Amino acid sequence: MNFLNITSARKAYRTPEGGFIHALDDVSLNVRNNEFLTLLGPSGCGKTTLLKCIAGFEDIDSGNISLEDQSLKGVPAHRRPFNTVFQNYALFPHLNISDNVGYGLDVARVPKKERADRVEEAMELVGLKGFGKREPNQLSGGQQQRVALARSLVLKPRVLLLDEPLSALDRKMRENMQIELKNLQNSVGITFVFVTHDQEEALAMSDRIAVVANGKVQQLATPTEIYDEPANAFVANFVGTSNIFTGKVVEQNGKNLKIETANERQVLATSDHFNLGDQVQVILRPEHMKLSPDGNEISECCIEGTVEASIFVGSEMHLHVNVGKGRTAIVHHRHNRGDEGERIEVGTDVKLYYSPNAAHLIELVED
Amino acid sequence: MFDKILDSKIWSFLFKGYGLLFLTFLYLPLGLIFVYSFNANAINMAVWTGFTFDWYLTIFGGANSQSSFDAAFTESPARIFDVVKNSAIVALTASTVSTVIGTATAIALARFQFFGKRLYQAFLILPMIVPDIVLGIALLIFFVGAGFKLSLLTVIIGHTTFLSSYVFVVVSARLAGMDTSLEQASADLGAGPITTFRRVTLPQIMPGVVGGFLLAFIISLDDVVITYFIAGVGGQTLPLFILAMMRRGLRPQINALAVLLLLFTFIVAAIGLYLRSRKK
Ligand SMILES: Nc1ncnc2c1ncn2[C@@H]1O[C@H](COP(=O)(O)OP(=O)(O)OP(=O)(O)O)[C@@H](O)[C@H]1O
Ligand SMILES: [Mg+2]
Repeated sequence: MNFLNITSARKAYRTPEGGFIHALDDVSLNVRNNEFLTLLGPSGCGKTTLLKCIAGFEDIDSGNISLEDQSLKGVPAHRRPFNTVFQNYALFPHLNISDNVGYGLDVARVPKKERADRVEEAMELVGLKGFGKREPNQLSGGQQQRVALARSLVLKPRVLLLDEPLSALDRKMRENMQIELKNLQNSVGITFVFVTHDQEEALAMSDRIAVVANGKVQQLATPTEIYDEPANAFVANFVGTSNIFTGKVVEQNGKNLKIETANERQVLATSDHFNLGDQVQVILRPEHMKLSPDGNEISECCIEGTVEASIFVGSEMHLHVNVGKGRTAIVHHRHNRGDEGERIEVGTDVKLYYSPNAAHLIELVED
Repeated sequence: MFDKILDSKIWSFLFKGYGLLFLTFLYLPLGLIFVYSFNANAINMAVWTGFTFDWYLTIFGGANSQSSFDAAFTESPARIFDVVKNSAIVALTASTVSTVIGTATAIALARFQFFGKRLYQAFLILPMIVPDIVLGIALLIFFVGAGFKLSLLTVIIGHTTFLSSYVFVVVSARLAGMDTSLEQASADLGAGPITTFRRVTLPQIMPGVVGGFLLAFIISLDDVVITYFIAGVGGQTLPLFILAMMRRGLRPQINALAVLLLLFTFIVAAIGLYLRSRKK
């Protein structure tokens, strides 16, 4: 049985100019029970719209959303077993923190005694014990966010929808909350659909990630799959840094391929999916390219270039290497303490070694 | 350089002087009424002959030295009580009913989309702009045509029509400033539309509703022009009564009555301001 299933959902908004924005353009997504699923995508790609359609604040134009194979079509927001942590928290300004957290229970006519206990429990869960009598505007952004979380969690929803809940927090707080949220999700056993435009956050927290762009799901996979095997150039660029070379397969020996790239270099790769003559894009992550061969990297498997810039970021040197015809490859070179002698000057000719297994191939799509 | 000139002592002095002058200009007439209302001179109020509370006492029927001379210059407390009662009934009823109508309309327009909404909105605001005298005549023609007998009831109905516009505008402004995600949050937490309205929307727009009510109340209380056309026998309100008194000459009791009306209006306005500051 499917848990939360979205099939071919479309949603268009009318613009003041008379055109349409396709906020959701044929979105299909299967959310599993108890998983931490992240919707990752740039601003304006339709993440909030998708959450609103799931929550029931907006109706999809076509397609279907179902929970355990029961269609949610026509079910109003207040009858759906989902709760939302809003992008702007949306705490009720006229109620104190306890009453905010207890609102849903009160509406459901939960007896006073039980309500008080559950509110207390929820506040403790998010680390806000003793804040009950305060007004929402007397709390910091992070605290308000946790109130919003408690207000939803207290109702024990089937699915918790979180719309960029950490975006207002500073870096330190954010990292703490990432861990807390993940632990919380493990302990309460509720499905989380979490929206973010921060790829590190997505990689760190999710069981699976749906990368969304232009109202479409670009890829739905585990964090490692997303990173190691991006489905297209957008995903490769959006999640982590990628060096992407377009080219053509010029030699094939079983699954070992040689690709002639547009910047007149040859790249070796292994793949089952491509054959001689195919147009492809080769993706090489910066940390998979090294300045000297070690074991795996056979000596002919390298790209020649000239260092254009070298940026020291602490744990690594980031080298920008011109690899022909103005194409720049970015290489992350590990920095060891006292490596001063190895410092690479601008203008140095280098060879970038990589393992053919590290090169990921995707189909070249015209756009 | 211009800043320097503006900064100089003379300018600052002139600005302050101007401010003071303006205040005087605004409040001198009101101050005069206040002072005259304590003037014992019954014939010429501009000539001060001594301090007295008598004019106030005549209003409440407590003047002990009711000479026949005084009586010619004053209305009886019973008569005054009558028109004050009329005014209170009109103002309270009309502003209550128009608060309900105006608020409901404002919510409907803020939350629902329908064809011709803009035009509808414009029509709702129109009664505020239409000259009172036109509105008064129009209402009169309507009442007569519809077979109403002019009375206190026609005054109440008449006031309710245009006061609804005022309440609508005030509540609409408040609604426009309200975060719709609060209503979504309420629905999200399981509250149906009615519960959401009662427990989230209404508390949020309450300052606007109360403000609209008080505004309507004050406008109703001192309306002369429209009321003049639609008040029948026995439907006389306080402002109309004062106007009628004036026709028979400027009497000192009018001053006292005006001061009391002014005081009452200030109190209502102060309550409005207080409620507004409390709910930010
Ligand atoms: N009510 C609306 N009317 C018209 N257009 C809308 C409306 N809501 C959203 N849009 C448009 O739909 C697109 C998707 O919006 P959405 O809010 O889903 O983006 P998002 O992915 O949540 O972005 P962000 O990360 O900035 O929150 C945007 O181009 C936006 O301008
Ligand atoms: Mg959003």
